[in-house]
Amino acid sequence: MLSKSLAAYCRALLLTALALLCVTPAQVLSQQAPPPSPIMVPNPASDLWRAVRQRESERDLTGVTQVRGVESNVLITQSGEEFRQFRRERLIRDSGILVGAAAIGVFLFYLIRGKIMVPGGLSGRKILRFESFDRSLHWFTAITFVVLGLTGLTLMFGRFVVLPVIGPEAFGVFANLSKTVHNFVGPAFILGVVLLLVRFAARNMPSKGDLKWIAKGGGIIGNAHVSAGFFNAGEKVWFWSVIVLGALVSATGLVLYFPNFGQGRELMQLALMLHGIGSVLFIAGSFGHIYIGTIGTEGSLKSMTTGYVDENWAKLHHDLWYDEVARGDTPSRASSADRAAAPEPSIPASPDKA
Amino acid sequence: MANMKFYCDAERCIECNACVTACKNENEVPWGVNRRRVVTIKDGEPGERSLSVACMHCSDAPCEAVCPVDCFYTTDDGLVLHDKDICIGCGYCFYACPFGAPQFPEAGAFASRGKMDKCTFCAGGPEDTFSSDEHKKYGANRLAEGKLPLCAEMCATKALLAGDSNVISDIYRKRVVNRGASVLDWGVNYDKASLRAPRGVKGKASSDG
Repeated sequence: MLSKSLAAYCRALLLTALALLCVTPAQVLSQQAPPPSPIMVPNPASDLWRAVRQRESERDLTGVTQVRGVESNVLITQSGEEFRQFRRERLIRDSGILVGAAAIGVFLFYLIRGKIMVPGGLSGRKILRFESFDRSLHWFTAITFVVLGLTGLTLMFGRFVVLPVIGPEAFGVFANLSKTVHNFVGPAFILGVVLLLVRFAARNMPSKGDLKWIAKGGGIIGNAHVSAGFFNAGEKVWFWSVIVLGALVSATGLVLYFPNFGQGRELMQLALMLHGIGSVLFIAGSFGHIYIGTIGTEGSLKSMTTGYVDENWAKLHHDLWYDEVARGDTPSRASSADRAAAPEPSIPASPDKA
Repeated sequence: MANMKFYCDAERCIECNACVTACKNENEVPWGVNRRRVVTIKDGEPGERSLSVACMHCSDAPCEAVCPVDCFYTTDDGLVLHDKDICIGCGYCFYACPFGAPQFPEAGAFASRGKMDKCTFCAGGPEDTFSSDEHKKYGANRLAEGKLPLCAEMCATKALLAGDSNVISDIYRKRVVNRGASVLDWGVNYDKASLRAPRGVKGKASSDG
């Protein structure tokens, strides 16, 4: 009984399978298909909004609106979230580490190396190194740089460092002042960088001895003597860093400065991130420059305050330039006013100077 | 407390811009500032949809995260508001916001940005409620009067909904159930998928697409 019904069942199964095999795909299509499950149905609305959100094509991302404004016809931008994450999780943290590390590094270097003295002491005989225009230009750029650096750092770190101390209202006033000062001093700094380029580019062109100078580490470690001309390779690297970073922060700053030209948000996000990166590198680099120019080296600061350096200082740090001046090949550029104020220059200015 | 949200039903918005006008009038916002705007996608094509956008009062607001002076705060009602006395008009919130909500009136030299202005969900600001300072800086405080934002209250097609997120999503869920997930392609939803027969709709829509 059981085997009989089983055989009947198998036969029925076989017939069904044969019937299925005989049906061609065309016949299947012609028949009324069962309703597809709701999962299989694409939702055109979700496709549309996904395209809008993910900005899959130019057509979907730009709409039409009656409201005039920067990108007011864009429904959603996702780049803002990347900007937020980069600023909060990378830029502010890494900038703090970099600036802090640069400050600590300079301090440790001072502890280890100490002040680099001129062997044999200062001679008391002076040579003109920077005339008054050069010095004025240097300090003009330096002061604007420090103001921009302090106000800029306020905007980057103030919320986490200053605000908890003085409270949100006082910090709001302070930050507002910082922003205004930053905006108005910025163009002055751009002018300073341009003038620096015009004034000092020729003297900062790479020359033969530069590679040797770099290979010897500028003689800053150990006591090996390294030859250098008017500017050594380290000064040249700093000069071109000032120009490149100055151009970067100037260009990105101008993008942020004039929102009335209708530039888009993605450009301004990029500008703000590059402005932050560039200025933080600039600040870290300036620590080294300020250190070497002040407490790091005996007699260096005088060249930028009075314009004159000691003969022995020149022999130590810029021997090739000293030789030129001693031979009279490089006429001192001192103006008559500078010469009059010169504390007993041992080497008189060349008579045929401009 | 409530968790206030906006929701704009794209199947209902007819791009009449009345919400924009109502907002400008109710809050007396300065020239050049639009706290709300209507954006139309695929304008003039099949499948055209419009959405009214303003500040969405994010739970994890990007503007708040990037603000260098921390002038944003979230109220007990889940609204993201800001203090114009602290704001410095730097524009970072505008860069970070996905919806383009922060607006800046031109102030001072070189068209520099003034204090940021954005949708307050008609909830005023940190000043004393109903004070003239509050009205001058932030506009209306309808929430304190027991009313919802005017844009949503006067929306003719009830596309723009405002209120507690649970209530809003409940209303929207009922709409979706009644009309199907979408009416962008009538054939798919009513004819082939037949998730559910629409109530009160006689006959079938064309399946030709």
